[in-house]
Amino acid sequence: MASTSGSLRRYLLTRLALVVPMVFILLTMVFVLLRVAPGNPIVAALGGHLSPSQLAARERAAGYDKPLVVQYGEYLRQVFTGHFGTTLTDQRPVTQVIAQNGAATLELTVAAMLVALAVGIPLGMLAGRLRDTWVDAGARGFGIVIYAAPVFFLGLLAQLVFGTYLGWLPTSSQASVLVQATLQPHTNILLLDAMIDGQWGDIPNLLAHLVMPAVTLGLVISGVVVRLVRVNVIQAMKGDYIEAARARGLRERDVVVRHAFKNALVPIVTVTGLQAALLLSGAVLTEETFNWPGIGNELIYYLENRDYIAVQGIITVFALAVVAISLLIDFINAWVDPRVRY
Amino acid sequence: MIDLPAKKRGPQLARALTGIVAAALVTPMALAGPAAASARPKPPNVTVIMGTTDRIVSADPAGSYDLPSWTIVWNVYQTLVKYPPGSTKIVPDAATCHWQGSGATVYVCTLLPHQFFSNGDPVTGQDVVYSFERVLKINSPNGAAVLLAPMKSVKASGNTVTFTLKYNDATWPDVLTTGVGGIVDAKVFPFDKLQPDAQIIGSGPYELHSYTPNQLAVFTPNPYYGGNDVLKNKEFIIRYEESATTLVSDVQSGAVDIAYRELTPTQLTALKRSKGVTVVKGQGIEIRYLVFNLKVMPGSNPAQKLAIRQAVAYVLNRQDIATNIYHGIVSPLYSIIPNALPGHIDSFRLVYGSAPNVAKAKKVLEAAGVQVPVKFTLWYNTNHYQDADLATELQRQLNASGLFNVSLSSAEWTTYDKSATTDQYPVYLFGWFPDYPDADDYTSPFYSCPPFMVDHYCNATVVKDIAKEEGSTVPAVRDAAFRQLQLQTAKDAPLVPIWQGGQVAASHGPVTGLKQTLDPSYIFRFWLIGKS
Repeated sequence: MASTSGSLRRYLLTRLALVVPMVFILLTMVFVLLRVAPGNPIVAALGGHLSPSQLAARERAAGYDKPLVVQYGEYLRQVFTGHFGTTLTDQRPVTQVIAQNGAATLELTVAAMLVALAVGIPLGMLAGRLRDTWVDAGARGFGIVIYAAPVFFLGLLAQLVFGTYLGWLPTSSQASVLVQATLQPHTNILLLDAMIDGQWGDIPNLLAHLVMPAVTLGLVISGVVVRLVRVNVIQAMKGDYIEAARARGLRERDVVVRHAFKNALVPIVTVTGLQAALLLSGAVLTEETFNWPGIGNELIYYLENRDYIAVQGIITVFALAVVAISLLIDFINAWVDPRVRY
Repeated sequence: MIDLPAKKRGPQLARALTGIVAAALVTPMALAGPAAASARPKPPNVTVIMGTTDRIVSADPAGSYDLPSWTIVWNVYQTLVKYPPGSTKIVPDAATCHWQGSGATVYVCTLLPHQFFSNGDPVTGQDVVYSFERVLKINSPNGAAVLLAPMKSVKASGNTVTFTLKYNDATWPDVLTTGVGGIVDAKVFPFDKLQPDAQIIGSGPYELHSYTPNQLAVFTPNPYYGGNDVLKNKEFIIRYEESATTLVSDVQSGAVDIAYRELTPTQLTALKRSKGVTVVKGQGIEIRYLVFNLKVMPGSNPAQKLAIRQAVAYVLNRQDIATNIYHGIVSPLYSIIPNALPGHIDSFRLVYGSAPNVAKAKKVLEAAGVQVPVKFTLWYNTNHYQDADLATELQRQLNASGLFNVSLSSAEWTTYDKSATTDQYPVYLFGWFPDYPDADDYTSPFYSCPPFMVDHYCNATVVKDIAKEEGSTVPAVRDAAFRQLQLQTAKDAPLVPIWQGGQVAASHGPVTGLKQTLDPSYIFRFWLIGKS
């Protein structure tokens, strides 16, 4: 037992130690890519309005002519002291961007993940249980098609059908204007904020705005979940313990639900964690399509305007979030499965 | 009260009495100030919601040089002078102003009475001085301190503010109308850094009630507003949207009352057909033009280069562009100065005619010994200007004449701007959005030496005309100078104007006042917008 827990401790410490160079490499890549891209925030904002000499004077004043090594050093210092600075294009503290818009992204991604699991798990289970039937073929086809469809295309389609033609759902934003204007931003997750203030009457409006983007993004992710759950169910059904359960005279329904399905779901934890990165990247496009005020939306804007400070801060947070989730999944896996150790 | 000896009691008593009298005089005025201002008629119980894809840079007058930010400034702050709706004639806002002396170097403004910030502080001459000096002190990289370059000093004596300029500049009053002229409360705004957007206050018709960055800005009437603008709504809300697609569906569904900037011609045409939506077009003065880099454009010598530019001017069909590419949202432009501004003449029509003339283009090229077809690459930008369709149409027109062989290339904005001004593009498309609606804002940047476009055009006569119009406050003198330089630059054609843009907004339902505010100043006046 002692050697097992020591092995787990060694595994956890090693994984933690590996995070540092991983994040360092990522930060460096972000820095280099941004500096290599032509232009800077001043040209993006005021090019075509100021003469080249005026632009150059502002660039010098802002320090863009400093050696890259100096700029890199300042960047690392800011990151490791948690001072992400102020955006260059709209003078916002980067931490405010991350907190405010990050909360909106969190709301969207959590809802999307719930949709993905709610659709993907049952469908995957059915497909695995009824292998090689039309149910299985349909579920697999759905998984492939929905995963291949670009999320912005699905989003536009949904807006057209459910928003414009049927008029069932709003097509953009987190809430209607008048609802949002009255909500106090305690957490910036508007559903929670409405609950905190007891504005229960606003909940339907908030949920109505959340449905389309969450379902759109969730469906895309469900394509992966369907296929993985199906494979796991098929593997589980082949297990010796299934034969043993049948041999003990259990009903087929109990064999499948209480034994096969339960074991098939264990790897879903891993799948869910691995989809975090996919969710975040999908959220960028979903937010753009639905005018969802998430951090992905902001990232696009700051990228277009070469706002180094903002992009560096946001990507750092994205990277740390994905790393943290991956680390958590690894820890859970190592704790559950002793074979996963160093 | 202290019992003083008799011989000291006299002066003490006089001082006390003076104080009492002064207090008696001042107190009613001070009490009457904000209270009197708030006795204005209440605006109608109407909330207006405007959607836009614009984004603000800073709501602090010292921190921005863009229209979305200045839209906030014009509604929350006062400037000393302003443009009334539908006119380019400057009128008082917070002050009455005039030039002192015969030249255009000393400009004096006297604050009107009963002007208050939304926190009740009175607007004083010192606030005005503070406002301008902090713009220069902060010198924000995104700010418009460059517009204050002519200013040598600004001083206040009571509520009279005197601007002394370094040189004659007749456009100084126009500068005061821009966002950089917003008057701030010296007790609230820091001198050396920008005020956070959510904490701005001004003396304009509105105050910023709440602000969620890049999502929602809610404006309510300034309770102490002392100006003469009458509000047609009790609340004006701006929803900032990421894409024009969602903006279009929001105005169609009525989620927003107004959709303003930036909608494409195709989207506007679709909105015209939408039920319950009205598309309103006002006069705009944004322009698009072709730039010839005189150093790297085709042609073996200056005469051939001139002939090529003139041939392009002869061949260009502006009406086709306005109709087919922009669905009537823009108008043909025959001068670098838009036709809404005093001083404009249709110089290119006078020199080249209004209809394309391929025969004359050919003659000009032959006379200069230019081999046809003239081959060159036309550059355009895809994200900042979105000129792909315009470039394609220009290519078609020029190639169809048989005199040109034009190929197209494009670049994204930051690359484009850099390359255009470093002799990498021989011929390219560019746009201009004015700082203020004065013809000088279209001539001085382009035709001074060196020009803003770095196209290597420098004509001493034109430069003299610019100095003449900048140095005079007499309209007739300025108009004459503008006429001269427009004719000369049309003949030289280093820039060939193509179109001037209209301002367009779409509204859902019974929205009023849009047409009134869509004018060449680009000031979107929230107070004019109501509902019937």
